Amino acid sequence: MSFLYPLFLAGIAAVSLPIILHMIRRQTRKRVSFSSLMFLRTTVPRFKNRSRLENLPLLILRCIILCLLAFAFARPFFPREEGGKRVPPVKRIVLLIDTSASMRQTGIWNQAISEAQSVLKGLNPTDRVSVMSFDQGTETLIGFEQWDAMDSARRSATAAGQISNLSPGWAATNLGDALVTAAEAIEDDEVNDERQKFATNRIVLISDLQKGSSLEALQAYEWPEALELEVKMIAASGLTNAAMQLIANRDHLAPTAGDELPSVRITNSPDADVERFALSWAGEDSEETSDRGMEVYVPAGHSVVANVPKRADYSEPGKLILMGDDHDFDNALYMAPCLTHQVNILFISSDKAGDSKGMLYYVHRAFRPTGAIEPAVISRPAENLTDADITTAHLIIAADTIATERIDSVRRYLETGRTVLLVTKSIDTAKTITQIIGIETIDSQEAEVDTYAMLNRIEYKHPLLAPFSDPRFGDFTRIHFWKHRRINIDDLPGAEVLAWFDSPQDGQAHNDPALFELRVGKGSLLILTSGWHPSDSQLALSSKFVPLLYSILEYGGVFSNRQLQYFIGDHVPMLSSAGSASLEISKPDNSVVHLNDDEESFTQTDLPGFYTIRSSARDHIFALNLPASECRTTVMPIEDLEMLGVSLAQPSKYSAEHPELSVGSRSTRAGHNSSFAGMESEQKIWRLILIVLLAVSFIEIALAGWLTRSPTNLEAEKT
Amino acid sequence: MKDKAAPSGSKLTSGRPEGLIDPVSLMKIKSMELRAKVIVEGFWKGIHRSPYHGFSVEFTEYRQYSLGDDPRYIDWRLYARSDRYYIKKFEDETNLRCHLLIDHSRSMGYGSGSYTKSQYAGTLAATLAYFLYTQGDAVGLATFDDQIRQYMFPRNRPGYLRRLMLALEADPEGGSTELGPPLQHIGELLTKKGLIILISDLLTSLDRLEPELSYLCTGGHDLVVFHILDPAELNFDFDSPALFQDMESRRNIYVDPSDAQKSYKRMLRQHLARTESICGNLGIDYHLFATDRPFDLALLDFLHDRMHCHKRIRHRGRPKTRRTI
Repeated sequence: MSFLYPLFLAGIAAVSLPIILHMIRRQTRKRVSFSSLMFLRTTVPRFKNRSRLENLPLLILRCIILCLLAFAFARPFFPREEGGKRVPPVKRIVLLIDTSASMRQTGIWNQAISEAQSVLKGLNPTDRVSVMSFDQGTETLIGFEQWDAMDSARRSATAAGQISNLSPGWAATNLGDALVTAAEAIEDDEVNDERQKFATNRIVLISDLQKGSSLEALQAYEWPEALELEVKMIAASGLTNAAMQLIANRDHLAPTAGDELPSVRITNSPDADVERFALSWAGEDSEETSDRGMEVYVPAGHSVVANVPKRADYSEPGKLILMGDDHDFDNALYMAPCLTHQVNILFISSDKAGDSKGMLYYVHRAFRPTGAIEPAVISRPAENLTDADITTAHLIIAADTIATERIDSVRRYLETGRTVLLVTKSIDTAKTITQIIGIETIDSQEAEVDTYAMLNRIEYKHPLLAPFSDPRFGDFTRIHFWKHRRINIDDLPGAEVLAWFDSPQDGQAHNDPALFELRVGKGSLLILTSGWHPSDSQLALSSKFVPLLYSILEYGGVFSNRQLQYFIGDHVPMLSSAGSASLEISKPDNSVVHLNDDEESFTQTDLPGFYTIRSSARDHIFALNLPASECRTTVMPIEDLEMLGVSLAQPSKYSAEHPELSVGSRSTRAGHNSSFAGMESEQKIWRLILIVLLAVSFIEIALAGWLTRSPTNLEAEKT
Repeated sequence: MKDKAAPSGSKLTSGRPEGLIDPVSLMKIKSMELRAKVIVEGFWKGIHRSPYHGFSVEFTEYRQYSLGDDPRYIDWRLYARSDRYYIKKFEDETNLRCHLLIDHSRSMGYGSGSYTKSQYAGTLAATLAYFLYTQGDAVGLATFDDQIRQYMFPRNRPGYLRRLMLALEADPEGGSTELGPPLQHIGELLTKKGLIILISDLLTSLDRLEPELSYLCTGGHDLVVFHILDPAELNFDFDSPALFQDMESRRNIYVDPSDAQKSYKRMLRQHLARTESICGNLGIDYHLFATDRPFDLALLDFLHDRMHCHKRIRHRGRPKTRRTI
């Protein structure tokens, strides 16, 4: 028999104390005043003589009651036995294997597979196992139900076979998320499988435990008390690992000069024993280095910024290779020319491009090629506007009334999520508004501005005007508006005014909407009630004009989420097809992925290298590199996991120095007791003990009552 | 007559003789004088006529018979020799002094019954005082513990007995027992011969008892010792172990009576024997009284001893001593 709480058995020893006191009967409380002690000497206390033990049966019964009480509190149980031997506690194990890019370090992966195989060999037939792999995400190779469904003799072999098919990928290490997923899988299995409710739970982690691993998911997770983590750390043989990161240009809108050399940051590991490395270019399809090599010196634990070696042509993709360290998995940096997009801006007006009195003149000068976009301003008079012009535009600026036959096309354009900027140069332009949103009429008239109007009550919280929220950029009072149209927005349900005119008219101040937005389907119809040409206002001549136009362009989703560098696991946004049906993306392994028209981003970024977007217009190449965090291969202190609340199977130095903070020992005890607690909970012997205790209590009460009712018998015995 | 009655409340209880007044009942009488009067008058009634009238007096000289003298006191032998009538002249006409020496130490405050040794001793003293006073003797009082606390000169004047009784009614202060200094002091105070009655439990060292008593005897005083003990002190018949506390020293010891009784009695017997021996050697009448003994018996023993004392020739050797337990 075993006991769940053996400490309570110490209560049995306390039973002897009243017996000893009962026998001694020193009764020091009784005091007798006597005339003189000259004839008396101190008497040594002795046990009671036989005549005082007349209540021996009662004493025995009471001692039995106390003993039974101590037994009940100690919670006895009989450990499970099969075939004469004790069955070891059942274990529930998740085998978690790291398949991130850092596991490509020289010699690590084979060790990892070997460790996994040894874990599988050490399993008991009653153990429940789940096998998972993880890098940026976690994948379950074999679940607990699947394990349970397999033939017990073949379980380990099947799992070993699946593990041998694993290989490290190129993604970063999200260790926190993997541990949380594994812990939750164990908790779910506890709930689902009542038979094994009290098994010992453990996660066996096979990983290089690199410092670049993400542990954020553990910060908000309360680690289960009965769950232990056993870490089988795989150490790389070489200590030196250097890596490169491309330093991005800060201003992605600025055009890049062809002869400007990009810069890279080279980082060396803290425990490196090599400090001199070489950089050289490789061809796009070849690992062979070119003749040009450049030596760099990077002390251990430091980083250095250096220009890339010179190349003949930077407009072509290039692969930069770092040489000299012990691990080459992160020694390649793919650099593609900046991915620029052509942006079609349709300007509906009869203005001449060179007429400075018109609006088109300023539009041409506002939209210039940048590192990110290659804008093409397409000017069409309203009468020459075609549906093709509308559908291929990324932004429509209408300064004239749109012909009725094109209204439906514009409406469809808006409903797909596009943006149209309607500038009411005259009150006739308001007719376009009514046609687009489908109302009868709208009150529109020319405002009679005394001197000039200014913009006020600007909604800086709106995404369109958010770039101007900084007080340095938010002063619009210097822009004078000589003319504007007054539109009664009460006639426009759902209109959101983004800016008002502070307009003195007839000697009184009037507030008329200057810029307002109407939602049409997924898109946005922006109405500006004044033009930016000189006769209307000073807007085109202000410093706010170009940022405003680009803000409108970005509000329309033209280059949102644009970045020059992409990493494994990123979602690369795809520019809207602008007319083409689908996209093809060619991956570094020459596989092709087709994207549908409604897919806004490319997600299969699992290989480093060059990706080619093939479209009807032109091909675009972008590069994908390893995340910088994956190149930090220095081993993480295991105490970092403990400080996040993870219970380790092997106590660390941290938990030894801070036993009051460490939950490892409690977890170990909790795990150790959980299986015994299960057996005891099934047997519930304490209930039987309590029933016996009650029966003995009744007997004691009856006996005491009977003895009390016959005092003459006691007196006779005494004398 | 010897009283064979055992003290009540002890293991040897065997009842008391008929006609004797129960001390428990007597102690309910608050007035010491009345209590003594009851005892003495009860005593006289018990013996009808006192043949001891004037016993405490001593014959000192003859005088010629005068008309009106009590013919009982005519010395007929002298008439046979002289053919003249002569009356014996007794000491009552010469004022015998009696000193009652009462132990008022703290140990006298012990009592296993409804009254203490001190109360018994006081009643005994009051009885003797009343008896002697009515006989025409001068009675004085001295109380002591480790020193004389109160002293009243022996007198036989109207109202003095009342004062004496009042003094006996007062509660003792209760110090520790010390025989030497009080006896020495008494010896210095008493210039004329008299009767000294010592009433005490004598629960103290006897080393100074013999020399001080001897000094008093040498001074011509007549001594009587009443050794008062409680029946519980004589028998030590307690039934359960307890912490016994000395009333004088406040010392506590754990005693199991079943184990300690034998040795206690042995040591007590030794103490009593030594006390008796000291008194015997000095010719002092020694009476050991248990506090449950009727007072009239104590008075009877006292008178009996006084009668024998007058008839014997005082000489060195052992006088009769009586232990009445």
